[in-house]
Amino acid sequence: MRNALLIAELSLREAVRKRLVSVLLLLTALFLGFYLYGIVRLEGTLDQRSLEAGLDGRSLNGASNLPVIYSAMFGMYLVYFLGSLMAVLSTVGAVSGDIENGVMQSVIARPISRAQLVLGRWLGFGAVNLGYVALLSAGLLGGVYAITGYLPPEPLAATGLILLATLLLTALTVLGSTLFTTLANGIGVFVLYGVGFTGGILGSIGTFADTPTLTTLGRAANALMPTNALWLGASYHLQPEVALQVSEAARGANPFFADAPIAAGLVVWAVALTVLAVLGATQRFSRRDL
Amino acid sequence: MLEGVNAIETHELRKEYRGRAVVDSLTLTVPPGEVFGFLGPNGAGKSTTVKMLLGLVHPTAGRAQVLGGSPHDPAVRARLGFLPEQFRFQTWMTAEEFLRFHGRLAGLKAAELGARIPQVLETVGLGGRGGETLGGYSKGMLQRAGLAGAILARPALVFLDEPTSALDPIGRVEVREIIERLRGEGTAVFLNSHLLSEVEQVCDRVAFVKRGRVLQQGSMRELMGGVLPLDVRVDHLPPGLLDTLSGLGELRHTDTNTPGRADVELWLDHEDAIPAVASAIHAAGARLYALNPRRPDLETMFLDLIEDTPDSSARAARLGQGAARA
Ligand SMILES: Nc1ncnc2c1ncn2[C@@H]1O[C@H](COP(=O)(O)OP(=O)(O)OP(=O)(O)O)[C@@H](O)[C@H]1O
Ligand SMILES: [Mg+2]
Repeated sequence: MRNALLIAELSLREAVRKRLVSVLLLLTALFLGFYLYGIVRLEGTLDQRSLEAGLDGRSLNGASNLPVIYSAMFGMYLVYFLGSLMAVLSTVGAVSGDIENGVMQSVIARPISRAQLVLGRWLGFGAVNLGYVALLSAGLLGGVYAITGYLPPEPLAATGLILLATLLLTALTVLGSTLFTTLANGIGVFVLYGVGFTGGILGSIGTFADTPTLTTLGRAANALMPTNALWLGASYHLQPEVALQVSEAARGANPFFADAPIAAGLVVWAVALTVLAVLGATQRFSRRDL
Repeated sequence: MLEGVNAIETHELRKEYRGRAVVDSLTLTVPPGEVFGFLGPNGAGKSTTVKMLLGLVHPTAGRAQVLGGSPHDPAVRARLGFLPEQFRFQTWMTAEEFLRFHGRLAGLKAAELGARIPQVLETVGLGGRGGETLGGYSKGMLQRAGLAGAILARPALVFLDEPTSALDPIGRVEVREIIERLRGEGTAVFLNSHLLSEVEQVCDRVAFVKRGRVLQQGSMRELMGGVLPLDVRVDHLPPGLLDTLSGLGELRHTDTNTPGRADVELWLDHEDAIPAVASAIHAAGARLYALNPRRPDLETMFLDLIEDTPDSSARAARLGQGAARA
């Protein structure tokens, strides 16, 4: 374990030294600044309108506040998307990159097991990616709260599910980087991510059009790649009663938000898949010639 | 330290890539503290062998023991040092960070590393440059940094895969000195090379490999078939001298084409015969200008072995030519 932590520490320092962290912080600031500025303007318009309508104020969880509620939700969708992008891009060469440029030989010749190396890489990059998503979520929800006073019903549960999706994608990308070249891995994991998203869309069309086959296909895709299901689960926790009613009325026509919480089995499966991916990566890497 | 346990022992070690054997029935023994030269042309399987001995590459068949254990055992690897043929390291690290990272992986304590790192940097000629990032290092400096990493943890066995491929002439001499110092400290060295002069000067024993097979192994003397070539130059050949000389060794070659001098090549069985040769020349009344025992010439042996000339007569002919050139 000591060696795995040493590799994790190395990965963290690598992220800092290769300017990954500073670029991320800068882009986070830009993204949040841009988005929150939009919310400030929105809030101003809404206040103006309610004044014109002769109302004293808006109920935070009422229909009149739906624009703010949806801004927070789409903001969190962007957080999920950026987090996934980041999880794949930062981790895409976690193992293959070092094999390709020859760094791995001198590291593995040291008294470290290959499993420790893979575990350390996953922990290190996982920490960077989780930190990024946590920072973005806190910045976005905190910013919305500071500006409008609105906070989604269960921000922690929602963020937790998004973090799990990030960790799962990191694990799958680490697995891919023990199987494929860096480039092939990047493409491969994005395709998988696309499978998850397709699953969400098929599922929602299936429900909407009452087509059981499509729903089943969607379920299969979600099981294969549960990241999108995790996001949908998170979206449920972000919606107050009024937004849930809208979602229900839409009968699944909106593939971005769900009107039901995620099945507990899917969360367990996502955790299991994360562990399996890391184990598979250690297995695969242990067999590989360097 | 485990005294008496061989540094390396392999038995019928074999590696195939896509059905093609790149290392084939390799049986080697390297005793502790020995400097062993592994020679062969490009693609002979030298690097693959080293990687198998370090656990980087999994053998297809056969057995490899390093320091009495398996190279897959981290405890064994803790006592190995390795300079890869492609010395690529994390370019974002400074040389000191690189050595600290490797030292910690090898299990060294922080205090120990604080003293050891400047020491090895000094040894490889990078003293005072440890604070620069490896990305800014020249090729030769990188190889030196890799060498520092290889000897950092005071290993019992060091693998050096073409350690001077990027070095200037001074660097080559320095590497030789480092290897000699390692030998002095009782560290075994496995040296991959196709630079024969380098191997010739430092190795106790060598093995020649080609297409994954060992053609010959042994001490330099054994490989030469136990003979010691001796070049003699005199002003003239008094009658009877050649007869006397052929009694002392095998007369290989005589050259009297240049007026005022005569060159003779004699193969002796042992260096104890050299003073007798000098006395014989003196007694015959010739003036002696040169008496050079030639070290076994690896270059010649290498070319011989590597070319498909298994019969020894061709080899002898070539040795003769080598003498004429010299
Ligand atoms: N990963 C691999 N996949 C397929 N073939 C390989 C691989 N690694 C090595 N080989 C083959 O094995 C043979 C031996 O390679 P190796 O690197 O051991 O040679 P070498 O003796 O070190 O040569 P050089 O002097 O050029 O360094 C070569 O023919 C090479 O093509
Ligand atoms: Mg090689």
